[in-house]
Amino acid sequence: MRVPLIVKVGTFALAVMGVYAYYANSIPQIQSTLPEELSLEGGNVTPEQLVKAGEGIFKGKGTCEICHRIGQKGTRAPDLAGIGATAAKRKPGMSAKAYIIESLLDPRAYLVEGYPGIMPKVDRPPIGLNRSELWATVAFLQSMAGTVDVKLDDIPKTAGAVVAAEGAAQGAELKLPGDPKAGQVVFMGKGACIACHKAGAIGASPIGPDLSQIAKIQTPEYIMAKILDPAGMGTMAGYPPNMMPPTLGQTLTAKEYIDLVSFLLTLKGEAAAQAPAASKQ
Amino acid sequence: MGKRQGRERRLTGGVALPLLGVFLLAAGAAWAQGAPGGETEAYRSFPLIGSRLAVWGAAQLHLNFAAFILGVPMFAIIVEFIGWRTQDARYDWLARQFMKLTFVAYSATALLGGLLTFVFITLYPRFFGYLAGIFGPTMWVYAGLFFVETFTLYLYYYGWDWLSGPRKGIHLGLGVLLNIWGTILMFVANAWLTFMMSPSGVDEAGKLTSLWGAIYNPTWMPINVHRLIANITFGGAIAAAYAAFRFLGARTDEERAQYDWMGYVGNFVAVSSLLFLPFAGYWLGREIYAFNQTLGITMMGGFMSWLWVVQAILIGVLFIGSNYYLWLGMERIPGSERYRSYIPYLVMILAAGFIVWATPRSMVATLEEARAMGGTHHPVLGVLGVMSAKNTAVNLMILTTFVSFLLYRRANRVATVSWVRSGMTAQWIIMGVAAAVVTFYGVYGYFVESIVRIGFSVYQVLSVLAAIVCVMAIDIPMFRRARSTGAIRWGQIAPRSQYVLILLAVSFTWLMGLMGFARSGIRQHWHVYGILRDTSPEAVTPALGYAANMITAVTAIFLAFLVLIFWLGGLGERGAKG
Repeated sequence: MRVPLIVKVGTFALAVMGVYAYYANSIPQIQSTLPEELSLEGGNVTPEQLVKAGEGIFKGKGTCEICHRIGQKGTRAPDLAGIGATAAKRKPGMSAKAYIIESLLDPRAYLVEGYPGIMPKVDRPPIGLNRSELWATVAFLQSMAGTVDVKLDDIPKTAGAVVAAEGAAQGAELKLPGDPKAGQVVFMGKGACIACHKAGAIGASPIGPDLSQIAKIQTPEYIMAKILDPAGMGTMAGYPPNMMPPTLGQTLTAKEYIDLVSFLLTLKGEAAAQAPAASKQ
Repeated sequence: MGKRQGRERRLTGGVALPLLGVFLLAAGAAWAQGAPGGETEAYRSFPLIGSRLAVWGAAQLHLNFAAFILGVPMFAIIVEFIGWRTQDARYDWLARQFMKLTFVAYSATALLGGLLTFVFITLYPRFFGYLAGIFGPTMWVYAGLFFVETFTLYLYYYGWDWLSGPRKGIHLGLGVLLNIWGTILMFVANAWLTFMMSPSGVDEAGKLTSLWGAIYNPTWMPINVHRLIANITFGGAIAAAYAAFRFLGARTDEERAQYDWMGYVGNFVAVSSLLFLPFAGYWLGREIYAFNQTLGITMMGGFMSWLWVVQAILIGVLFIGSNYYLWLGMERIPGSERYRSYIPYLVMILAAGFIVWATPRSMVATLEEARAMGGTHHPVLGVLGVMSAKNTAVNLMILTTFVSFLLYRRANRVATVSWVRSGMTAQWIIMGVAAAVVTFYGVYGYFVESIVRIGFSVYQVLSVLAAIVCVMAIDIPMFRRARSTGAIRWGQIAPRSQYVLILLAVSFTWLMGLMGFARSGIRQHWHVYGILRDTSPEAVTPALGYAANMITAVTAIFLAFLVLIFWLGGLGERGAKG
């Protein structure tokens, strides 16, 4: 039987493509996953947990491993083995902690000899680490031959601001079937949030954090989870823990809860929230 | 003739114009999406295959067709010009054949462009709304140019007989105009996609500060040049594959001779422009690094690093295939026996270059394997994995392909000029110097930083291109009044050579899909890098195997579409004959 030309040519073309596809499937398969947001603010985190979280960021979201090696000389960036100790010797008068933080937020402030200034600011997009993630990353770097003594307050409050604003902008566009006006009523009434929190022009209590720009500095997921499980989501540094009632999930109706979240997502005030510790200075 | 054209007019014109209206509607809808502030639903899902695969498939198919219809007219006009100046009717026939392919593919391009726009609007409304908010005015320019290009194409194709003889100059002018419109159209669309990779003209929040800044972003011009060249390569390869198919199905020697020649010209165009592609590629790579080191490193050293090994396989196939076709072609040229002894050496250089090009730098290894190797790099072959070695290899492969072409060119000619000995010596010296420059910068590249090293690639390519120009400048006068050892026996080429042309076309199409994945994938979870995050459930950038399966599926659909469209285009021809 004579095979039609189109069948011969078609089979040949498919075979060629099949070989390419087979080869591409045979080599290591690496996919780029979506980086997860880490929020440790106010949580009771041990140094060990912090270092572990930092290691995860170093190898994952931070993409540090693309250039930096640990215990191996890199061609693009310095070897970070022992950085917890060597960081103290880089710039006279600067502690290891301060040097590491500066290196992450302003990498070109000091360049190790022999390496180009190619590192991006890690709190800016596209890497975009938030304050919690920066805190954990510094702890991980300190853990290499150094002492882990970094606190969240050591990370400048402006760090990650662009990412927070971008996240908030995206979060604000999250469509919830709630009514912000009704949510404001819940905030001031049944929820009794106003007893401890300030929210823009509403309330003035300094017991809990100022929520005037909560939509700008936190994700919708965090806000929703914090209302339902306040202790599980941790307490902001400088405020007494376990003050927020854990029963809002039971006392609020579904509609009230959604309304309240919708209201909180409108809070993008420009005035920075003042932590009591900061206001004392 | 008139009956045939009338049928084609009904076929293509009847589809293209309503599509233009559809496109305008789509652009209008997109423009409207950008107006209200952020109330748009971000993502919608596409049934069965999901939104990502839907947009991927539509985009790749559209780009395949678009590249073809933009590339073919560029060399069709050159072929027509040669025919006009030499008064050789074969060239005019060939140019018309090429344009016929473009004409029948034009409607499919418009249809897929409309489909792609609808897919974006319906599945990624917020993202497209954002892009429309930035580029709205250019979208209207695009729609207008599409309109103008369509009518220029109609006039050019249907006016072929009318504008012949003393009016041929006007016809050629129309062809030039057609290419200008097509090129501007591509530049406009390139602004949108390059903005996604290297946004500029916007503030940190993504708000437009300068439309021209957004258009003239850091990767716009390198992509423009890269695509311009790649389209010619792609168009040439597809046209050559079409000729190969017709050759294999030909019933007469005359037909075989015609399509053998057409395949040769198509392949010549494809390979000639292919030689310039690495230069544009390096420029693009350098601009990506300059724009954002993280983006560049993700592309070359991050999760995408293995992609370049797959690309190496394809580049190897393209170079070896192109050379093999030339060597097979020499068998139909009397006098070519003199050069057969060179071929084994050329094979060796190409094979060595292929091996170097395909050597990976870092390997995903188990802890035991890494310990045994002393790291993630192979202790011996690891040095061949870096760009210095690969640039050297590909430039030497380009030089080798050029030598194959030179041998083909002079296969049936014996130079008679008095200075033939010194001319040949000068040619060998020039090629030797180029090879030495390429090798020097290849070795020197190991001792400098990556940002300096990527600059060396420009010197390497420039030395090869300069060598090609200088050698040809000697070769053309040297063989001007050469003694012929016999005419080329067109049509008397081994059928396997035609399968090589089909292999090249399939490989070019697949490679185009792979490079599209690379360009798009390096943004990872960003619609617009660093500005607009992809928060859809499908924001994960897939692994290479998944991408390869998708590229294969789309390439197969494209080729099937192409066969169908060419068959439809050939119906008129059959009707005229029958």
